[in-house]
Amino acid sequence: MNESDALRDLLVEFFQLPPGTAASALTQASVAAWDSLAMVQLITELQSAFGVEFELEEIERLTSYAEIRAALARRNIPL
Amino acid sequence: MNPEPEPLLSRLPEIVRGPVAEAIRDASWIKVRRALAAFELCAPTEQGPEVSIQILASFELESIAPALCLGLRCIPARAGLRIAPLNTIEQELLEPSSPVYAQPGLATVILWRADELLADQLYPSSASQAVGGVRQLLARIESMVERYLAASSVPLLLGTVPLPAALGGAPLGSRPRPAVARAIAALNAGLFDLAARSKQVHVLDVNWWAAQEGRAHYDLQMDFLAKQPFTVAAALSLGFFLARHLRPLIVPRRKVLAVDLDNTLWGGILGEDGIGQLKLGHDFPGSVYLRIQRELRELKAQGVLLILASKNDEASARQAFEQLPNMLLRWDDFVVRRVNFEPKYLNLRAAAAELGLGLDSFTFLDDSDFEREQMRTFNPEVLVLNERGHALHLLSGLLRTDAFDIHHLTEEDRIRHRDYELRAARSLPAESNLPAFLASLDLRAVLEPVQEGNFDRVVQMLGKTNQFNLTTRRHHLDEVKRLMAIPGAVGLTLRLVDKFGDQGIVAVLLAVPEGSPDSLAVDSFLVSCRALSRGAEEVLWAELANRAAAAGVRRIRAQYLATAKNGLVARLYDRLGLKRTAETSAGADYVLEPVQPSAFPGWISVEGNAP
Repeated sequence: MNESDALRDLLVEFFQLPPGTAASALTQASVAAWDSLAMVQLITELQSAFGVEFELEEIERLTSYAEIRAALARRNIPL
Repeated sequence: MNPEPEPLLSRLPEIVRGPVAEAIRDASWIKVRRALAAFELCAPTEQGPEVSIQILASFELESIAPALCLGLRCIPARAGLRIAPLNTIEQELLEPSSPVYAQPGLATVILWRADELLADQLYPSSASQAVGGVRQLLARIESMVERYLAASSVPLLLGTVPLPAALGGAPLGSRPRPAVARAIAALNAGLFDLAARSKQVHVLDVNWWAAQEGRAHYDLQMDFLAKQPFTVAAALSLGFFLARHLRPLIVPRRKVLAVDLDNTLWGGILGEDGIGQLKLGHDFPGSVYLRIQRELRELKAQGVLLILASKNDEASARQAFEQLPNMLLRWDDFVVRRVNFEPKYLNLRAAAAELGLGLDSFTFLDDSDFEREQMRTFNPEVLVLNERGHALHLLSGLLRTDAFDIHHLTEEDRIRHRDYELRAARSLPAESNLPAFLASLDLRAVLEPVQEGNFDRVVQMLGKTNQFNLTTRRHHLDEVKRLMAIPGAVGLTLRLVDKFGDQGIVAVLLAVPEGSPDSLAVDSFLVSCRALSRGAEEVLWAELANRAAAAGVRRIRAQYLATAKNGLVARLYDRLGLKRTAETSAGADYVLEPVQPSAFPGWISVEGNAP
């Protein structure tokens, strides 16, 4: 795992998790605060932080660190 | 030209100003959260009062709640929002047991959205369909508002309806868009009319706000994802807009504006350039100064007291007022004129003493960096309206400030200027001939119960009287009504009239039974600082004693609760003949027992007293 992982840092601060939280633990299923309301704010935050716009079909699937990372990778966004 | 910063921001404590500015700059939810967290680090006194706001909306506002909260925290206020479920405005207002009535807050806010409210009219097959729909809708809204006013005394902020961004730019030829725009304009005009009928209803012109924000406030993706179309930046802006409208319910407006002359009311320096070279008129740059004068004249009409604070020779300044063409303001428009070479902070202190007002009700407009800095240093209570000295900054400081915000002007606001102008004539001479002087004023005190018709003034006085205020209880309207509904409660207002004119209601006393019907406790007792030393307090107290005695009350308890500002009345009850029963640094307890009728001061005639 890259130590300066901007996506992980963003998710950790966004959901107010302990600083050392592993990327693999960042899923909607395991983060209680990751509800549909947070999802809306998170999409805005991600789009603004990484300068991207997600597809409608994609948005529904952005429910974990891994999915978001994959979506960013498809746009060649370096993390 | 960079505008003056958001007025709310400039007053924030250092440790939150940075985080709030960053949240606005980056329009990021993480930054919004950091800014909210920074408020928690402030001293409780810097965080403002705890208030709750009820929001009913046809936008889904939960997802932008933190942005709205941030605006409210900047008032400052520890604001809690209760956002009703989406599209339940009508149910909430019509249902007597709904949370709007069960948990009333500081204010109730209604935000409508055309897409919901006018769903049928947004895509009408004919123009008449759109306009006809609006009439029906307005009738419905009117009955909702009437129901609200009958059931609640909490202020209602009634939003206007923003033109949907997706329709706003449509060219005129693409019918039926103009019909939709016309329908929304008609709806908004109806909402303004509706609000004008009650002092409890204030318009929140969301349509104006959305127009200012422009197309940038609208995010199509958000609209479908979150059932509200606001970008983060727009959500923050909406929060500040809302805060600006709620602030007058929490913070009293400033009463005084002290202005400089040279390069403030006209361009150029009188003492160096001479009257002939000063710039004031319809051409640039004189037009900027003319506009500043126009704004000042408007503020005066709204009850703001104008003061001149200028380092000039007084005779020359007066001459300029008389001879300079295009002057809108007159020498007499200023209630106090301190035109001399003393430091301005001393001049403002003297003016405050002369007017009987605290420096915390003063604002200051001056082109000189030195004067503004000196004012900030020596009179930190004074709010400086402009950050820089350029004439356009003076003007924009005036246009943007929230210091004079008020929802409805009372009669006292309208006559305040004339009243203070007459103060000089009324001001008290040496102690020795005081009774003779008071007698020469033909003072008349008109007593009235606290009741419908003067509630506004009573709440206003409870909210802002600092010096002659025994308990400094800042009751809102609801609380005043509740106290007055207690059987045996006594609420009195005193209107003072003298040979110069009517000063309006200048004193209030509230007392409620405690324990048993034969014992009264004074809840609040206050006199406006412009009516001190006239006998208002003696009249009110005597009237309370007379009414109490007639009603069989045997004991009146009263308290002095010390604040930083009410030392003036620390010994009032001793003077009125009550017995002090306890005293600490926080104040003192008093009792009057038995209660006997007492006489009014000889120099004042009283009307409306109990027989």
